[in-house]
Amino acid sequence: MGGLNTSLSIGMQALDAAQGALDVTSHNIANANTPGYSEEVVQLSANSMTMSRGQVSGGGVTLDGLQGTQNQLINLQIQQQTSLQSSTNTQSASLQQMQTFFTTTGTDVASALTALSSSLVALSASPGSSVTQQSVLASGQNLAQAFNTTANGLTSAQSTADGLVTESVAQINTLTQQIGALNGQVARLTASGQSGGAVEDQLNQSVQQLSQLTGISITQSSDGETITTGSGTPLVMGDQSFSLQTTTGSDGFQQVLDFNGKDITNSIQGGQLGGAIQVRDTTVPGLLSQLNTLASQFANSFNAVQAGGIDSNGNPGQNVFTIPINLADAASGISVAITNPALIAVSSVGSPNSNGNVASLSAVLTTALPSGQTAAMAYASLVFDVGSQAANASTQSTAIGENLLQLTNQLGATSGVNINDETANLIRFQTAYEAGARIVSTIQQLYADTMNMMT
Amino acid sequence: MQINPNITPTILSDMNQSQSALNTALQQVATGLSVNVPSDNPTASAAMVQNTIDTGNVDQYQQNVNTVLSTVQSASSVLSNVVTALTRAVSLGTEGANGTNSAANMQAIAAQVQGVFSSVVSLANSSVGGTFLFGGNGTTAPYTADSSASTGYTYTGTNDVSSVAVGNSLSVQVNLPGSQVFSSSSNNVLGSLNALVTALQGGNSSAISTATAAVNSSIGFVSQQQAFYGNAENQLNSQETSLQQDTVTLASQATNLVGINLATAATNLTQAETENSAAMAAVAKVMPNTLLNYLSPPA
Repeated sequence: MGGLNTSLSIGMQALDAAQGALDVTSHNIANANTPGYSEEVVQLSANSMTMSRGQVSGGGVTLDGLQGTQNQLINLQIQQQTSLQSSTNTQSASLQQMQTFFTTTGTDVASALTALSSSLVALSASPGSSVTQQSVLASGQNLAQAFNTTANGLTSAQSTADGLVTESVAQINTLTQQIGALNGQVARLTASGQSGGAVEDQLNQSVQQLSQLTGISITQSSDGETITTGSGTPLVMGDQSFSLQTTTGSDGFQQVLDFNGKDITNSIQGGQLGGAIQVRDTTVPGLLSQLNTLASQFANSFNAVQAGGIDSNGNPGQNVFTIPINLADAASGISVAITNPALIAVSSVGSPNSNGNVASLSAVLTTALPSGQTAAMAYASLVFDVGSQAANASTQSTAIGENLLQLTNQLGATSGVNINDETANLIRFQTAYEAGARIVSTIQQLYADTMNMMT
Repeated sequence: MQINPNITPTILSDMNQSQSALNTALQQVATGLSVNVPSDNPTASAAMVQNTIDTGNVDQYQQNVNTVLSTVQSASSVLSNVVTALTRAVSLGTEGANGTNSAANMQAIAAQVQGVFSSVVSLANSSVGGTFLFGGNGTTAPYTADSSASTGYTYTGTNDVSSVAVGNSLSVQVNLPGSQVFSSSSNNVLGSLNALVTALQGGNSSAISTATAAVNSSIGFVSQQQAFYGNAENQLNSQETSLQQDTVTLASQATNLVGINLATAATNLTQAETENSAAMAAVAKVMPNTLLNYLSPPA
């Protein structure tokens, strides 16, 4: 009866293996759309068979376990590209918001310069008219407001970015805690010789979320993953996580500190945090400084020409524009100092209908400011700057998006759940189960036949 | 070759691309512009700053030309009237100098010349829109008949001239002060008329002849001054033509920079719509396809 018993136990093993494989296949199908899930593959191995004295013993199949299909290399590339894209997207969103202030809307600086220029041309033809004088004064006020609005638009984008810094740091801290805990679990599973499986998928998913927030660098160690910022500040080591902190800096913005309290703001790159810091500390200050220089130089030149002329009351021209002493506040704080249109210095000789100074006032718009550019050129280069930065950010984001799509497809090809494959597997293992069951029923029949021999 | 069984990311990316192309095409048709924000074309947006300023200026230069042109034309026609009046005074003077007039006639002629004098003073005080044509920058009527003055009048205008901007770095002088139009070192239009009145009142034929000759020479002088306004008018007319040209150039530059041909925009829109529908149709066809569709349910 030994031979039949062997066959029966092989049949049972076949049933167990097919059952296990069906379980794994069902698990794969069930998680086909779970974010970060990677396909599990069932590992089967054949038991050895021995033959002694004409009797076969052993044999059958063993379900060894499950093999994950994570691809760490592609995961790493995806994390890097995700950081880059998230940083670019943050900058792109800010620039899109900022560039609306440089679009011709009628209240932008270009429109205001246009109106001031043509109102001065009109003043040339009717220097004594209070209507044309009023129109010059109103255009001056509009220009000052356009500078204010544009500067406020830029600083508002800057404060939004500053808010994003605080928010990103909080999210980073939550994620690094989770990652630390998951890291510990994976390390314990690996130590006991088990596959990380679902926990590892979850870990990968969290790390990927972290890479959206800031650029990270990952090294594997016996304790699990060690995650640092791009410049080496530790975030997670094994099951330990290190929180970042924020504190208000001398410029009034949030600075990022590592767990030791060291300021690492300038070394952070990539991710939403890197993008926000880039916008806040580089992009906006660069644009604001151009705008401030323009506002201040234009206003000073205009005031100088105004001082060289004589107003309709016969007095030397007073300042038309008031500019804050601090250059950094020039564009946001510029205002018009006079309210009486008769105070515009139209004349160079002092007689009421003379327009001798109007040409010089107009010339402020057409001659180079101390920066070497005319007001229009200086503003045009600012428009170009904003526009090309916005265009570059958006092009870059699209390019990285393509790249990421490629990588995601690669990852999907190696570790994604293919419903067609799983369906085929389902049929395969169903058939295997049926065949296993047939072995058992055949052996049962043989037992019965053997029993009947005795009667 | 391994393929990614999850086609959703690719599908989403394709659909986003086609949707964004559709949005762009739609916006271009709606605004008629290919550049709506600086990032659409940074170079063109920057160039548009100068274009907008220039367009505004050219519009205003054209208005200035029109305003100034009417002033210059008025001044020119006033001077024509002055010449006519002076010619009348010369014929009256010639009549007064022929020695056949009675004392009463002489007084009548003198009164007529006096009338001519008054009308020339009034012409010299002409104003357009509140600005005195021959008063320099003065704000009150420049000429007053003044019998106590040796010339018979006083000039209260200024000696200023005005130049009005009518183009980039082009301004046209649009007036001559009365002190220059009606008098010089050798001619004095109003003075000569006043002297003729005095001579006619005095009745001395040779004095009348001398005074008439002086008025006659004034005619030539005023005609010379009139040439200034003729030149200004020519200059303004040619500038107006050039400004119209500038308007066309600037508008076509703007179209080249940020505009879009309506036919192109419409074609782009149609193409984007077709692409979008094709992408959606493809998705609808592909999405539900799995092996399961082709397996009969277990019996």
